[in-house]
Amino acid sequence: MLKILCCVKQVPDVDQMRMDPETGNLIRAGVPAILNPQDANALSAALKVKETYGGEITLITMGPPNAEAALRECLAVGADKAVLVTDRAFGNADTLATSYSILSAANTQDTFDMIFCGKESLDGATGQMGAQLAQRFGMAQVTSTLLIKDVSEETGTAVVERELDDGVETLEVKLPCLFTIEKTNYPVRIPNLKGKLAAKKKEITTVTANDIPDLDRGRIGDPGSPTKVPRMFPPVLPEPGVILDEGSLEATVAKLVDIIRA
Amino acid sequence: MDKSNYRDMWVHVEHDGKAVHPVSLELLCEIRKLCDQSGDALVAVVPGDVTESEQEKLLACGADKLILVSGTGYERYNTEAYSNLYTVLSRKYRPSAVFVGATVNGRDFAPHFAANLETGCTSDATELIYNPETKDIEFVEPAAGGKIMAVITIPVLRPQVGTIRPGTFKCVPTGKKEHVEIIREEVSFDPAAIRTRLLGYVANEFDPELDIANCETIVCVGSPVKEESLPKYRELAALLGGKLACTRPVVDRELLPYKLQVGQSGVMVKPKLYIGFGVSGAVNHVTGVDAEKFIAVNKDPAAPIFNYCDYGIVGDMDEVCDAMLAALKA
Repeated sequence: MLKILCCVKQVPDVDQMRMDPETGNLIRAGVPAILNPQDANALSAALKVKETYGGEITLITMGPPNAEAALRECLAVGADKAVLVTDRAFGNADTLATSYSILSAANTQDTFDMIFCGKESLDGATGQMGAQLAQRFGMAQVTSTLLIKDVSEETGTAVVERELDDGVETLEVKLPCLFTIEKTNYPVRIPNLKGKLAAKKKEITTVTANDIPDLDRGRIGDPGSPTKVPRMFPPVLPEPGVILDEGSLEATVAKLVDIIRA
Repeated sequence: MDKSNYRDMWVHVEHDGKAVHPVSLELLCEIRKLCDQSGDALVAVVPGDVTESEQEKLLACGADKLILVSGTGYERYNTEAYSNLYTVLSRKYRPSAVFVGATVNGRDFAPHFAANLETGCTSDATELIYNPETKDIEFVEPAAGGKIMAVITIPVLRPQVGTIRPGTFKCVPTGKKEHVEIIREEVSFDPAAIRTRLLGYVANEFDPELDIANCETIVCVGSPVKEESLPKYRELAALLGGKLACTRPVVDRELLPYKLQVGQSGVMVKPKLYIGFGVSGAVNHVTGVDAEKFIAVNKDPAAPIFNYCDYGIVGDMDEVCDAMLAALKA
């Protein structure tokens, strides 16, 4: 049976974030936390593999305790169990520290044949987690995976399509392997009532820093993060353009069409 | 770690055996400016073979040194050999920074070797600033979907690794340096340790509807667009001789394919005419638009898009689209 790990993240819905015009700071209060959209596509790929070849999907996320909501959402569409890595000591981590933390927490649970990740997160959007996790796990990686065509436990290989800038390559890869998933072939699954009810009974294991033997505390959280954010500032906006208003919509649009045709 | 032991800024040169990828030349030209301020040498690192005429292009962008790397493992792109190459050479030469074009393959190995080296990796900076006091590079990048700009630094560790999207910087060669150095290195990687095997490759079929990078008019729809309204924007684009495109949230809703996503994490466009309907003006999006005539339609008069446009209309996107269709057909 294939042991599949699917990495997900709860993110603020950045599309609903607003900037405080007075302070230039982002207003985070009231912004809903959602399952990272691309992680839902990765989960769809993992589910497809499970349904075709058999397997068990373990979810893993690192975040505050309320990230449980994102895990329940994933459990409701067919993931089997979940690990919530949560501890203040893990906070303020960049991708390097996060990859070490996820590896360390996953190792307390099981070993895995396949790991699925979304291509990038909505908030950080570095797109680095997949490659750094593969490095941490010491396994092969296929980023920008378009399609999982075949998986063979017997030979310990998978055949996949990978989307390049100018085409698609077909690769055979040795398992264990980490895949970052393109959304094209793996639309998001919507949970039904039965799934939601089943999700409530599924197991979520919480892993804190203290639960991980031999955890190197210098490699997690802020101390373990080589990248820092010394400052943020609002985008410098250019001078506004000319706002057209000729009294009526028709007249305004007529003016616009003149400008377009000029 | 004593940062002063780490010198020179490197640019990974991506190529297909024939031509160097434009992003590598863009990066050389931009990093040249940083090196002029920091006193570092600019080094182009070339895995595998490129012709001498391609090497001259690298030198014309102001590279002080070329490191030409030969050995086994580079016949086709693979994570293992490329990550190993930069791990080995970074340990040997101790560069202060390594820049990699954010192509599909660049994004594949750069974070990987940064993790090998236990150093920091940034992605998608839109501006690079050398800070002479800290001697760190400040990677300025849009964050939180472009609502704010973040300055990222790697203040303690080296090398500073960064991936940069193609088209972010312009290729403006400043000319070949009087003294250049060509270094030949052999870093062989055991092909048996490469865990992927290439079974086939199919080049993308050219689909004119998806070719928004090279078209003269773009009608771009933003997150408020209704699915049932898409045909009229497509019609408007066709009437203007252009193509329909969109912002990231529209792709997230799976209304339009990713190849139509304009912006830093999608396609960089340079049309003569750009009309954004319901586009808010997030930095990630507008940095991907280089239009001669930039028009914005949005019902929110405070939307940042009006700061980037030449002409704007404050109004309902569908109503304006309908009126434009009527006017153009009249």
